[in-house]
Amino acid sequence: MSPTPALEKCADCPALADEECLVDRMVKLSSLKPGQKGTIRQVCGDPDFRLRMMEMGFIRGTEVQVIKYAPLSDPIELVVKGYHITLRREQASDILMDQPEKAA
Amino acid sequence: MPQIITVALAGNPNAGKTTLFNAFTGARQHVGNWPGVTVEKKEGSLRHRDREIHVVDLPGTYSLTAYSLEEIIARTFIVESPPDVVVAVVDASNLERNLYLAVQLLEMGAKVVMALNMIDVAQGRNIHIDVPTLSQLLGIPVIPTNGKKRIGIDELLDEIVNQSDGSGLALDTTRIRYGTEVEEEITKVEETLSKPGTVFRRPSNRWLAVKLLESDPDMAKKLEDERGYETVMEQVTESRRHLTDIFADPPEIILTDARYGFISGAMKQSVRVDHVDRVHWSESIDRVLTDRLLGPIILLCVLYAVYVFVFQGSEPLVSLLELLFKWMGNAFEAVLPEGLLRSLVVNGIIDGVGGVIRFTPLIAFMFLAIAFLEDTGYMARIAFMLDRVLRGFGLHGASMLALLVSGGLAGGCAVPGIMATRTMKEPKERLVTILVAPLMNCGAKLPVYALLIGAFFSGRQAPMMFLLTIISWSLALLASKVIRSTVLAGPSAPFVLELPPYRVPTLKGLLIHTWERTWMYLKKAGTVILAISVILWAMMTFPQLSHERVQSYDRQKAQLTENFLSRPDVGSFFKSEEDLEAFEKIRTQRSSRGVGKNEQTPSKLRELNAAVEWIEKKKGSAGVNEDGKLVARVAEAYLTYNEKKLALESALRRERLSNTVAGWVGMKLEWVFSPMGFDWKTIVALVGGFAAKEVVVSTMGTAYSLGSVDPKEAGSLSDQLKNEPGWNPLKAFTLILFVMLYAPCFVTLVVIRRETGKWRWAFFATAYTTMLAYCVAVLVHTAGSFLGLGLS
Repeated sequence: MSPTPALEKCADCPALADEECLVDRMVKLSSLKPGQKGTIRQVCGDPDFRLRMMEMGFIRGTEVQVIKYAPLSDPIELVVKGYHITLRREQASDILMDQPEKAA
Repeated sequence: MPQIITVALAGNPNAGKTTLFNAFTGARQHVGNWPGVTVEKKEGSLRHRDREIHVVDLPGTYSLTAYSLEEIIARTFIVESPPDVVVAVVDASNLERNLYLAVQLLEMGAKVVMALNMIDVAQGRNIHIDVPTLSQLLGIPVIPTNGKKRIGIDELLDEIVNQSDGSGLALDTTRIRYGTEVEEEITKVEETLSKPGTVFRRPSNRWLAVKLLESDPDMAKKLEDERGYETVMEQVTESRRHLTDIFADPPEIILTDARYGFISGAMKQSVRVDHVDRVHWSESIDRVLTDRLLGPIILLCVLYAVYVFVFQGSEPLVSLLELLFKWMGNAFEAVLPEGLLRSLVVNGIIDGVGGVIRFTPLIAFMFLAIAFLEDTGYMARIAFMLDRVLRGFGLHGASMLALLVSGGLAGGCAVPGIMATRTMKEPKERLVTILVAPLMNCGAKLPVYALLIGAFFSGRQAPMMFLLTIISWSLALLASKVIRSTVLAGPSAPFVLELPPYRVPTLKGLLIHTWERTWMYLKKAGTVILAISVILWAMMTFPQLSHERVQSYDRQKAQLTENFLSRPDVGSFFKSEEDLEAFEKIRTQRSSRGVGKNEQTPSKLRELNAAVEWIEKKKGSAGVNEDGKLVARVAEAYLTYNEKKLALESALRRERLSNTVAGWVGMKLEWVFSPMGFDWKTIVALVGGFAAKEVVVSTMGTAYSLGSVDPKEAGSLSDQLKNEPGWNPLKAFTLILFVMLYAPCFVTLVVIRRETGKWRWAFFATAYTTMLAYCVAVLVHTAGSFLGLGLS
């Protein structure tokens, strides 16, 4: 995964103030490895998608754990708020996370 | 105090809503693990404490925004025809997300009773819920339940009655507050809504104000025609701009955030999770079943196992039904006098409907297998593993549900499959899924496959079905790729799918599900297919051949017999026509009961019979004549005579059938179908298949039994086809492919029209599938003939 994911995302994520975009220690959800956990900083993308994801529990400050990748490395299986959900990498890259703790 | 209490069940997919519904009403309904299977509105009634309770099962949704059709259905029902009580069914083991919907129900001002369902699962996972506190925080009664074991059902019903009578806990619908700034704007919009001259709207102006602030398209549309609409929308636009400025996020995001904030507050006070390191068994299973390497292999094995189970498991029952219908046919043949009525009953109805009904066990086994995959939760994993593949073709992981239900695992039906696409919000993916769903191997095509595979590929049922599944998938994917890059070009939409925990399905749930779908199949056989069988029988019988033509054939036959009998050498065996008839009787007996052992048979005729058989066996006459033996010469002459007679009879049959409406249609179309090697009987069957694919089998049954050489001797249709000249494995395979692909049945077309809103798409589906079928069939037939494959 690219080391500056947040930067390129800024244009599509108007909710983020510019300085926030540049904050380091922020990664895309899609760059997390199986077993890794992280906290949601911001859900980007078009408004419909953002709302949908939030309704499914992807709220700022919520912990997300990557369980695994599908056999063809896409989509991703995640646990959020205690249930399992699957997203494509493309969507997971719209979800910005605080730098995750190391995998247990 | 309402006479009848109306109760609506609302809840997330996989929250056990359907199980609870069954526990309430005992009504038959599908219980699945696939998000969004309950699309139809299910209703049922029960009596509790001498009160009549009417239960409506709303579609399973995650929210009540206007995201999907189901959400709109559920919301509209609560708003437009308010139930007395809404039961919010929540999965106790997945409480936080489930509460989101419950909170939205509270916001609507509905009288909500919460069923804390699957409480046993939550306990098993060390999730401890303080029910009184939760109830107090939400301001509604909360009843722990277990739909499967009927725990808490009576308490829940008690509470429903209490609430509807107004004797229960008082409800406070304004409990959820969104913070000062948001509340100010809600009040402003509310005021414009309640200005004099505007109509009061259900359920409350506050709710409406919230929805408008969230820029809900459905709500805005509903208000469009009302007075004061512009004023309201002006305020809404103003408030939205104001809030977006303050929070750097649009109001719908802020409100969602606030609802979750409220929920997590309630969760903190009422739920305690004792952390355990033990991995839940569902996750251990999943680790293997969706493993990078093992997952796909297991998937293929599972699909293959389904076929083996379905075909080998159902085989004895199918044979039994086959025998039953054969017996029925013979019985009616014995009772009814020869004529049109007998032909209608035996050739039309029994052969037609029986041909379809005898495959019922097969269909039931397939439904059972599908229900099992759905109810265990494996179906969602199939979508998970295959989404990457489907996306490449412009489809969606959620298309998997629709395609599997349509017959992706042979035996589904495109009608519920297409309806299942309602869970998809993405218009292009949804439309393309609808358009390719009819290419799947639905239950109606199975009888056709079973018939032809049984006749020409017997002993290879499972591998053949596997092959057909692969072919239908390949072509469906190809078709969707082409459609998505031409007619419906555009980028792919997001894929978001819940992976419910694996569950052990209940036998009752599986059986109810299987029975429901099988019953639909039987109903179809008893109504639509019965009607079509009779119509097609009539088409294959009328108009009847003119009396003169029949007489002309009779005369030719009489002439033939006379010529034969007048031969001098024949005279010593057959003195009259009666002798000839007696001889023919011996020959018939031989073929049905072995060599004529009848002692009364004149020895001369037995001798002749032996000679005829000898010649037939040798399949040639060389050398016989040279013996100069009289009996051999007569036998030879008899065979020549017999051959001419059969040819005459067959010409009569052909003329008789071709004179009918069906024959006319079939022959007019023969030039179109000849590149595939189909004769007109098959064409008539295919035309009938437009109504319903099962009809292909029933029509062929009628066509071949009407036209068979000796109707009394005809075995099952598959035996008949095997012995029919011109039929070979290649032709059977070509026909299978054509049936698989060509035009969706009439019911499917109606559903496509309903789901897409346009006849245009139904016509498009018919046109492209038929063209595809034609091209594939011609290709296979030509290539097969050229390579000499499957010709014998």
